[in-house]
Amino acid sequence: MPQLQPDDPIKSRSYANVILIAFFVLLLCVSWSFYQEFIGLRPWRSYQTRFADSYSSYLKKQISAREAAEKTVTSSPDYQKLSAAVQQAEATAQPQDAAIEKQMALVDDQRAAILSAFQTDRSLVGSLIYDYEVIPNTPANRSEKESHLRALKKAEAQTYSIDWPEVGGKVVTRNMNYDQLNNEFNDLLNAKAQLTAKEGVIDTPVKGATDAMNTYLSDKLPGLTASQLRGLLRTIQGLTVSLIQINVNPPGKMINDIGGVGLTDRCQSCHVGMDPKYVPAAMTITKADLGLQNSKDAPFTSHPDQQLFTWHPLEKFGCSPCHGGNGRALDTVELAHGRYEHWLWPLYYPENYEAGCQTCHSADAWTRHAPVLNEAKMLYRDRGCIGCHNYTGFDDQGQKLEDTVREIATLEKERATDNQQIPLLNKQGDQAASNAEAQRLYAEATDLTVTVSKIDGQVQQLDQLSHSLQQEVKRVGPDLKEVRLKLHPEWIPYWLSHTWNFDPTAQMPQFRLEPDEVKAISAFIWQQGLKGPALDKQAPGDPAKGKDLFDSLGCLACHSIGEGSQKIGGDVADNLSREGEKANYDYIVRWIHNPRVRTAPYDPYLHRDLTPEDYAKKGLPFVFDLEHSRSPVDGHELVVQQQTIMPDFRLSWQESRDIASFLMTQKSASAHYDPVPWINDPKLFAQGRTLVEHYGCTGCHEITGLEDASRIGTDLTTEGSKPIGRFDFALLYTKAQEGILPDGQKDPRGSWYNLKGFFDQKLANPAVFDEGKYKPNPMDRLRMPKPNIDQQQLNALSSFLQGSQSSTLPPSYQYDPTDERKYIQEGWWIVTKYNCIGCHQIDIGQKTVLMGLPQYQGDNAINLPPVLTSEGARVNPEWLKQFLANPALSTTDTDRDGVRQYLKVRMPTFFLSNDEIRKLVLFFGALSSQQQPFIPEKLAPLTPQEREVARDIFTSPAAPCLKCHMTGNPAHDKNATAPSFLLAGQRLRAPWTERWITEPATIIPGTAMPSGLFVRQGDRWVFNGPLPAAAKNYTGDEANLLVRYLFELTPQEQAALSGRTPSAPKPGGHSSAMLKNSSASSRRGLSR
Amino acid sequence: MWGDWHQLWVIISTPDNIPIVAMLGLVPFFTWFAFHNMLANDRLIAQLEADPQLARTHHRTTYPYNSRWERELHTNPFLMRKELLAAIIITIILMVWALTLNAPLEEPANASVTMNPAKAPWYFLGLQEMLEYFDPWIAGVVVPTLIIVGLMAIPFIDANPLGNGYYTYKQRRHAVWTFLIGFEALWLVLVCIGTFIRGPGFMWFWPTQTWDPDRVEFNVNRNLDQVFHIDGSWLAHILPASWQGSAAIIARGLFGIIPMVVYGVVAALFIHWICTRTEYSRKIYRKMSLLQTVTMYILLITMLFVPVTIFLRLVFRIKYIWETPWFSI
Repeated sequence: MPQLQPDDPIKSRSYANVILIAFFVLLLCVSWSFYQEFIGLRPWRSYQTRFADSYSSYLKKQISAREAAEKTVTSSPDYQKLSAAVQQAEATAQPQDAAIEKQMALVDDQRAAILSAFQTDRSLVGSLIYDYEVIPNTPANRSEKESHLRALKKAEAQTYSIDWPEVGGKVVTRNMNYDQLNNEFNDLLNAKAQLTAKEGVIDTPVKGATDAMNTYLSDKLPGLTASQLRGLLRTIQGLTVSLIQINVNPPGKMINDIGGVGLTDRCQSCHVGMDPKYVPAAMTITKADLGLQNSKDAPFTSHPDQQLFTWHPLEKFGCSPCHGGNGRALDTVELAHGRYEHWLWPLYYPENYEAGCQTCHSADAWTRHAPVLNEAKMLYRDRGCIGCHNYTGFDDQGQKLEDTVREIATLEKERATDNQQIPLLNKQGDQAASNAEAQRLYAEATDLTVTVSKIDGQVQQLDQLSHSLQQEVKRVGPDLKEVRLKLHPEWIPYWLSHTWNFDPTAQMPQFRLEPDEVKAISAFIWQQGLKGPALDKQAPGDPAKGKDLFDSLGCLACHSIGEGSQKIGGDVADNLSREGEKANYDYIVRWIHNPRVRTAPYDPYLHRDLTPEDYAKKGLPFVFDLEHSRSPVDGHELVVQQQTIMPDFRLSWQESRDIASFLMTQKSASAHYDPVPWINDPKLFAQGRTLVEHYGCTGCHEITGLEDASRIGTDLTTEGSKPIGRFDFALLYTKAQEGILPDGQKDPRGSWYNLKGFFDQKLANPAVFDEGKYKPNPMDRLRMPKPNIDQQQLNALSSFLQGSQSSTLPPSYQYDPTDERKYIQEGWWIVTKYNCIGCHQIDIGQKTVLMGLPQYQGDNAINLPPVLTSEGARVNPEWLKQFLANPALSTTDTDRDGVRQYLKVRMPTFFLSNDEIRKLVLFFGALSSQQQPFIPEKLAPLTPQEREVARDIFTSPAAPCLKCHMTGNPAHDKNATAPSFLLAGQRLRAPWTERWITEPATIIPGTAMPSGLFVRQGDRWVFNGPLPAAAKNYTGDEANLLVRYLFELTPQEQAALSGRTPSAPKPGGHSSAMLKNSSASSRRGLSR
Repeated sequence: MWGDWHQLWVIISTPDNIPIVAMLGLVPFFTWFAFHNMLANDRLIAQLEADPQLARTHHRTTYPYNSRWERELHTNPFLMRKELLAAIIITIILMVWALTLNAPLEEPANASVTMNPAKAPWYFLGLQEMLEYFDPWIAGVVVPTLIIVGLMAIPFIDANPLGNGYYTYKQRRHAVWTFLIGFEALWLVLVCIGTFIRGPGFMWFWPTQTWDPDRVEFNVNRNLDQVFHIDGSWLAHILPASWQGSAAIIARGLFGIIPMVVYGVVAALFIHWICTRTEYSRKIYRKMSLLQTVTMYILLITMLFVPVTIFLRLVFRIKYIWETPWFSI
């Protein structure tokens, strides 16, 4: 090294300090990266530690509380008694137990004594047998085979000396050969098994007493026991901080396969409380439980609906498939929840949680545990969204019908050509040059004849199909062909421009219309209306009677009445508070009498309404209904009914007039309508028609000339998967990204440039994305009208749309059952379509509209329609088919309910198609887990003796059956509250009936049917009341006997017995159980 | 909408754009640094040329002569320690960068959705920007090929024996200016335009203008022949009947040759003037073979054509100068 030159700028300059500083900075960076690696980018570590701490202290508190409670219970006299019983039983069993133990010990010793010799001998003999068997059985090998056989025999005969222990501790020596050892060993095994069984029998009372003690404890103190809680505490204290990950790949897929990966979900790494390992389903924890109620950063609560895990096991589904979010991300809350621009499936906000259900349950009309989604799907239909926006799975009968009609037309064309061809070929055959040629041509003609008859068959089948479809096609709005018969013309423009002023709860959305557009549309609608045949003139009815009927028949399950806070009733049909202002009395009478009646039938092949002249030409009367549904012109199916879901209540003309008169009194005093002299101006017709087509009125209404118009809106089936760039935020683009709402407010959640933001704003005000746009022609504006929904309904619909995705999950995650759950899925579409749930409770916990009405509160709940939660188990499916087709159960006496004539509310006729009835019957069966196909139970016929006993039970004062159940005697039935027994045989199913008469409250809690009529004795039910001595000798099941009797009951028998029935229950004759159940306070919802 | 500072901040702070934002400072700095050293060296060269004795003994390029200093120094430690320092600092910068900014990943690609604006990676933005001004064939194939071929050809064209291995301006005036115009003024400016100026729809947004995807712009470009109303109507009279339908195309193609030739001649004269301006450059020029000269002239003429076209497009809205059915320039 050359000598240092102090003034050499290169050599003398020291870099030590700079390098040192740089090195320290580098070291700092390295430490920083370590911090990020282990703490900064792993926030879940601290979450897990914090959870373990707070949950441990919570558990400790719970344990001490539980221990104190258990102590109180165990020291209670009841428990002491049970505990003493256990000890008593143990003491009784002890001597026998001890004897058995001793015998078992001896058996074990004996087995041990022979075991070694037995095993040795068995393996020796086994090997010799093998050696003998493998030698071929040929003369050449005979001697060898025989020598092996000798060796085998010798080994079998060889004896072993055994020190055999005997009772009393004595030991004897036994010499045993192979067979003896074998037999002895098997005998010992049998002896041991017998002793164990004996011990079990002796210990039965002990086990019973212990079970009773434990049951008592768990009844008094439900929830986890102290020892279970201690187990949890041990688990949580042993928690090692680590990544919790659910990783499901479909078979054959690697984790990084694009699109193939099932799921990688690490949510529980922070949300530790979700894991059943730490918080089992039997308990729930909230932030408050852990003392963290004020913390904004404590993701520790357990799942609020743990039942969902039964169907969606956590280890299969994880969290993000249902909730959205980026299940893999862990760095920050924002990334994990997917709340950033580039994650396409962000976590749903609480009001949209059920969007997650829709991603897999899109084929359901009704998903259990998803009330928001169910509401959304009802709204999607009832508010007419479906009128413009197709959605796969929703009512597609209209589409199917169109296809059928087209197919029939094609077939007919083909048939016409063939029919022309046949005579031509025959003629050619006649003139053919050669015989063979003639034969060929004739054969061809014959072929064509066969084809024609085949086509005939096909057309016939398609016609039948379209008959069914015609019954199923429904429209949300009323038929506008009948406006001239139904409405006052001056009401139409007012309604179009002030829809929600007239009816604040209207289903119809508010369209954005200019005054001249309103005029044109009104004029067009008026002018396209049918002018006749004229309606029958109706005499006035009695409004007071009409009001009674209106309130009690069940109209309010769909319709509402009253305005503002006075409003009661359902939302799937009109509010009738101002009906009198708009409608013609004569029309409304006809409508109430049977809403399905049309003024003229529509022929979808001729594309026009048929007139009386069309019928007259064929010499037919102008009659068209479901029995006369073929066109006299072309022979195909007509539209013979109104396409409304409103059913026929089978009322008399007088009753219809009463109700209509009542509705005519429903007017607002201040109502004022401008005259409409222009309504018949033909110049407005063309413009009106263009506008009606433009705004898609035909989606909901039947309009002359536009019956086949298609839907004008976007298909929304996978709207939630559309890339955000396809949504036109227009001038709100920047505002949305900056989180400024259209009203200028700041969105507390930040940017709303996402699907939720678009759906929410669009539903709240569809015109919002037009704001500030230059659109001088009103028809250039966005067409979507404003739906009449409140904030909650908006959230429901928005959830529905957000969940409408082409799912990224594997198909196996989709809910697409193929077993009887499919029937349930199909049935709900019909149940919700006709609003059955407005009257009937079908899903457990589901509320009906009627339940909320004032006239059914308190004791009056007895007047509600029946609960159908166990309908499939209750009734015979064949009977149910008849009932659904004709709820009057009679073709002559129709002004009644077939089963419950004592109820004022009435099951109406829905004119369901055969297919719908079939689906509904299967639905009820599947809902009650009934076997398919249905096999009727065979009941043994009664012997004369049995009949006598049954009569005694039936008429016993302890079971006054005929007091509440209908008999057919009008004087009696006035006060009846349960159906007639005469229907039982064909209507009910025996197993259900037996359970019903023994334990009705377990089927329908709170029913008026008394419990305790029978008591359990051994394996049979015995009547719980006084019986004549002769009947007491009956040894069979008396509940079963009564069921068999009821199923055989004839009107004559019932009439003969009615004299024997006490008119009022005598308190003295009742068991105490009966008294409790028949007391007035608990008489609710009889036979519901 | 103007004055949208938030928009500007969004563009500048996007992780994607970090290298380009850094470049805005680094490129001027290094240009200054290079010139600083070049000028210092030029001064030394002048000093040594004036004093032949000193030139014989002088042994370090950047320091004045000192007889007590050693003539040569060891690489280790005098160079290595500087390199170590540089390595540490670069490591620190990369680590801080990696720790503070996540990789700018986006959603999974979707074949049915085109992002807007759809931009190339930053280092290709210059090429993408050229697509705005040229026929895709020219901008996407011809020019990149010429760039690569040109860069490869430099050592073979270079006839200047001086200026290798040290900073100098005087001895490398020509090369320095070619680099400054070709790389910094053209390539980097195009990259910056692509990054900061091109918004949704690849429209021109001035800084602080809001990037509105719905913006509608009036922007009609014409070809040079349209400015001069060349429609081939006079040519139709002299062409044979079967060719008459193509008269307009032929006329335009023929017309386009004129400005191209004019430009070529003017640019060649300009380059020639520069190459023969000083005694030194004339000396180099004389040393060059014909092939070398022609290659260099063609490359430089092509390079200068880029700013000319951009100027015509941005200022006079002229799309193509020469339009033919096969290619357009």
